[in-house]
Formats: sequence, C-alpha cells, structure tokens
Amino acid sequence: MTLPVKNSPKERDSALLVAIAAGDRRALEELYLSFHRRLARFLSRFTSRYENVEEIINDTFLVVWQSAKDFRNASQVSTWIIGIAYRTALKSFRRQKNHAAAQSLEDYPEQTVDPTFDAELNDWLNHGLSRLPMEQRLTLELAYHMGHSLEEIAAITDCPVGTVKARMFHAREKLRQYLPALSGAPPGLSARIG
Amino acid sequence: MTYNRRIENSAEHHEVSALLPWYVNETLGDLDRQRADAHLGVCTACRDDLAVQRRICEAIDAQPAIDYMPVASLKRLQARLDTLAESAPTIAPAKEQPTHRLPWRGWMAAASVAAMAVAVALLAANRFVQTDTRLMQPNYHTVTNSAPRPQGEVIRAVFSPSITLVELETILDEAQLRIVSGPTEAGVYSLASNSTLGVRASLALLRQHSTVRFAEGTLPEPEPGDSR
Repeated sequence: MTLPVKNSPKERDSALLVAIAAGDRRALEELYLSFHRRLARFLSRFTSRYENVEEIINDTFLVVWQSAKDFRNASQVSTWIIGIAYRTALKSFRRQKNHAAAQSLEDYPEQTVDPTFDAELNDWLNHGLSRLPMEQRLTLELAYHMGHSLEEIAAITDCPVGTVKARMFHAREKLRQYLPALSGAPPGLSARIG
Repeated sequence: MTYNRRIENSAEHHEVSALLPWYVNETLGDLDRQRADAHLGVCTACRDDLAVQRRICEAIDAQPAIDYMPVASLKRLQARLDTLAESAPTIAPAKEQPTHRLPWRGWMAAASVAAMAVAVALLAANRFVQTDTRLMQPNYHTVTNSAPRPQGEVIRAVFSPSITLVELETILDEAQLRIVSGPTEAGVYSLASNSTLGVRASLALLRQHSTVRFAEGTLPEPEPGDSR
C-alpha cells in the first residue's frame, strides 16, 4: 500500500494506522520505529532490563496490529498507543515482585537528605521516585518526562481527570516530604516519609 | 485569619494547585493558564510549589536516558507476527479437506491427517486465545485483584468522585491512615495504618463519612477472644 504524504506527525500516525488496519506490515514497521525511542526511554526509567522494555513495546505493537481496525479516532494515535503501553507496563511491573517501585515509602522511615550538589539531588529524586506507588509515578513521569496534558494522561490511563489529579497530588506530597531541600528546608533535615 | 491563610484555604487555591504540574509542562489550556497566572500573582504557597515542581521536572528531564537500537526488537516482533500469520492458514485448509475424494484404502491415513489438523487447529486456537486473553483488557473493574498487596495495606477504600483532596486528607488523618497505593483505574485506594488505632476503629471512622463509598479490611478478621 502506498501511503499518502502527510505533513504533521498526527496525520502521518493516522495514515499509518489506517494502513495497519488494512494489514500493511510496512506501515506497522514505520510506526514501530517512530515510537520505539520515545517508549524505550520512558519505560527504561522503570526497569533497567532491556528485555523487559522490549517485551512491553512488542506486546504493545502486537495489540496495535490486532486492534488497529477498532481505533475510532476518539483520541490521538499517540495517546492510544501510549495508553496500551501504559497498561502493558503496569501489568508487567506488577508481575515483577522484586520491582523496587512495589515497595512502599514506609519501608524507609528515616532518610537523611543533604542534596548539596545537583548530582546528589538527582540521586535522591530517583530514590524518591522509585518508592512512589506505580500509578502515581507513572502519572508524574507522563507529565514531567513525556510532557502530556492532564486530559491526555486521563485518556492514556483510562481514568477520570480527577483521579489523575489525585495521583499527582499524592506523588507531589510524598516527593516533597522525601526531598525537603526542594521545598526550602535546610539540608540534612531528616525526611519523614509517609 | 491572615490574608495568606485565607487564600490557601480557598477553593481556587486547591484547584489551581492541582493544575500546577501542567502549568509547568505548558499544556494547560488558555483559560486554565490565565486562571493560574492570576492566582500565582497573589499566592506565595503556590509560587513556592511551582518552583519545587519546576526543579523536579527539570531534574527528571535532565536525567540521561539510554537509547536502544530498535531494529533487533522489530525483528523479534516480526517473528511473532509471522507465527501468528502462519497459524491462521493452517486451520482453514484443514476444514476444507475433501475427504470424500480419497480412496477407501486411504481412509485411515485421511482420518490421521484430519485428527492432526484438528489438533493443530486446537493448539493454534488455544495459543491465539492465550495471547488474546493476555493482551485484551477486561471491560470491567474489580476492587480486589490478584496483584500483590501493597506493603502495609490494611484497608481498601473507594471515595466519592466528588471528594476534594483536602476532604480526603482530612478523613485519612482522622482515621489515622495513609495511602500506600492508588487510586487504581477503579478508584480504589490501598491504605495503611498510621497508628495503633486498629483496623476496626479506622474502618468505623471511615464509614461514618458519606463520601466513603466502600471500605473493607484486607486482613483476616481476628478470632473471637483474640486480644489483638
């Protein structure tokens, strides 16, 4: 199938999805390659094992291949694909019982935080992020790492806007308590986690 | 009450505060952005929070990410698609096999072929169903699920969709509970105890609020006479 030339990424994605729905494997390859970097960078923030990242991406595109004909333009193609990846990732991470994010913040009741340098701040931020409940961390990453709007995150996670706001609120509160230096508290202050 | 305290207690403050992450990533619509700008002009707490959220956003964005070569992964996906495609035509010809044309002496062989075809078809169908079941989403939500129970979870609760974040925090403080996970897609929060108050007492405090739609303990009820 010859794909029409489309100017914007949205139009190109839509055209590719129409071709995929018609059984065009080359269109699937093109869409896969255009999304792989974005999805891999996002997913690799939750797991250091590339085989996990690859499994989630390939499971996602298997669903895209099988369900393209059911796409009804209720959202952007990118939102739909990232939504599939989100649900696939959530299931995958929940299966990994040893995943650090499955641990609650209460496992670490006392931490001394002294982020004198940006590098240390990043380390502590990673530490705090990895201990957020998965739904809250994914919401934060979708906004701050992927740059999605509130409505897009609601569509990706298949949740009401209010639920997205609540997840973000709790994530911010926990990070604030975990990283007192971010909120202006003196360095070295013990962070109470909860 | 001071001027600042009045602002921080206002509904406008809570609503704008909840939108700050999207103010930071610049995806708010014009109306919400103008509303946030107006509130930020008078609210010190929101300005401080905005600075914190910008630092978190910058730190997350600045973190190095590993770039992967997608071609090898794509080949593995193509192999899976090939397997799926091959399993489909295996089924169709088997059904169309014109067994009545075979000579009588070939009946046993034909029966074997048919049996094998049925077996292959069943295996292929089973594989397809397994793949499909694993990947398809259910169109319903359950409050309980097979996922591991979050660390420390003693209660699962669902709140009214109209509850504000401040009301939620107040109810949890009163019941001496904290959130350890959620809300899930079904709106379920996993709650852990913050004190020695006890699950029953916390449940009773939760249930007296009309905004608590559902609240149940996740641990077995203690036996009668159990002093715990």
